[in-house]
Amino acid sequence: MKLGLWPAKTKERRATVLAGLILLQGVSALFFIGDVILDFREDGHLDNPHLLLESIAAVALVSGVIFLMIELRGLMSRMSDMQTGLDIAHGHMAAIVGEFFDEWNLTQAERDVALMILKGLDNDAIARVRNTASGTVRAQATSIYAKSNSDGRAQFISLFVEELIAGNERLAQGA
Amino acid sequence: MITVEQTASGRASAREVVVWDPLVRLIHWSLALTILLNGAFVEEESKAHEWIGYVALGLVGLRLVWALFGPAYARFSAFPPSPARAVRHLRAIVRGNRSVHLSHNPLGTLMVYNIWASVIAIGVTGYMMTTITFFGVEWVEEAHEVLFGWLLFSVSLHVAGVAFDTWWSGVNLVRAMINGRKTIPEGRKVQ
Ligand code: HEM
Ligand code: HEM
Repeated sequence: MKLGLWPAKTKERRATVLAGLILLQGVSALFFIGDVILDFREDGHLDNPHLLLESIAAVALVSGVIFLMIELRGLMSRMSDMQTGLDIAHGHMAAIVGEFFDEWNLTQAERDVALMILKGLDNDAIARVRNTASGTVRAQATSIYAKSNSDGRAQFISLFVEELIAGNERLAQGA
Repeated sequence: MITVEQTASGRASAREVVVWDPLVRLIHWSLALTILLNGAFVEEESKAHEWIGYVALGLVGLRLVWALFGPAYARFSAFPPSPARAVRHLRAIVRGNRSVHLSHNPLGTLMVYNIWASVIAIGVTGYMMTTITFFGVEWVEEAHEVLFGWLLFSVSLHVAGVAFDTWWSGVNLVRAMINGRKTIPEGRKVQ
């Protein structure tokens, strides 16, 4: 089981580092506050310079912790917005692919094969996944290309890429 | 090749949700470590014991502040302490409802508040022992010990609860506390 202790994505790594800093700085703040309280208990008043300096350091550290926490919250919320955007894009793409398949009247078997072609599998791999002869897959692929009016794998895939880019341009113009 | 079939089926398959931010996770395992150290390894009447105890207190404090304004799943509003909800949750389990909770489940929620309160109480009684007023006072030492016993008992229940929920809901909770993600089984209801 791969746990992914050290996150692969830059933003997640930043978040982990931020959390570590919050923890370390929080503990340092605690030590300063503890020291202030200890000194105060021995000394009884707050007006000597040593204690004043320590108090200022403690306040600065605590403010720093709160600032870092706000940073981390912002980062987490940007990460979750990005994920939502990606989910929507995934959803749109799946819908668009489905619409094309409907339009071309692909059979269920052809839909499965077409999806795997889009995912970059070659005919042999598709045959292995579907437990059929590679001849069958070749015939299905030929039928898919004919129904979609494309002359082969590359053009078939580019139909979708075109749609994706056109969609982006529409988005960019709208913005 | 199996993975291809899984992803080819599209959005109906199992999905991952990021629930625990890194601060929640770091605080959790640091807190567990401090309790383990103070309960089992560090000399009782030593400076180290006191400092580790204060660190535990600080960790809980930090977590409580984070619960005020942190990300949604870490906030108090995601897991309000409510015995009524806990009872409803129990009934739902008896009825065979295996829906997944993204934050703590209502029963776990009560345990979480109980653990935080216990750690704070242990820390406070610990501090009291070092003050002139309460130094050597019997009941304070008693309380410190009894509370620690209560915490041990709570943590055992806590770990048992995590194991049960992992089996029952099919979501590996410990993994979620390590890498932050809950993997929701296909078609499972989420709360
Ligand atoms: C002294 C030891 C421990 C203490 C004091 C402790 C305390 C806590 C607390 C306070 C939370 C709530 C986390 C938050 O919202 O910030 C929590 C959650 C959790 N803990 Fe522990 N814990 C301890 C040991 C463990 C161990 C050994 C495990 C692993 C088996 C574990 C697994 C979990 C998990 C999986 C959650 C999240 C539960 C959920 O998804 O609702 N804990 N623990
Ligand atoms: C929250 C973390 C803490 C845990 C888990 C913890 C746990 C314990 C345990 C298990 C004992 C042994 C009790 C016994 O059998 O006699 C003990 C004793 C003691 N603790 Fe803590 N403690 C914590 C925090 C503190 C703090 C913050 C202080 C003080 C600043 C403190 C001061 C003491 C002292 C002075 C004793 C010795 C009491 C005696 O032997 O009569 N502890 N603690």
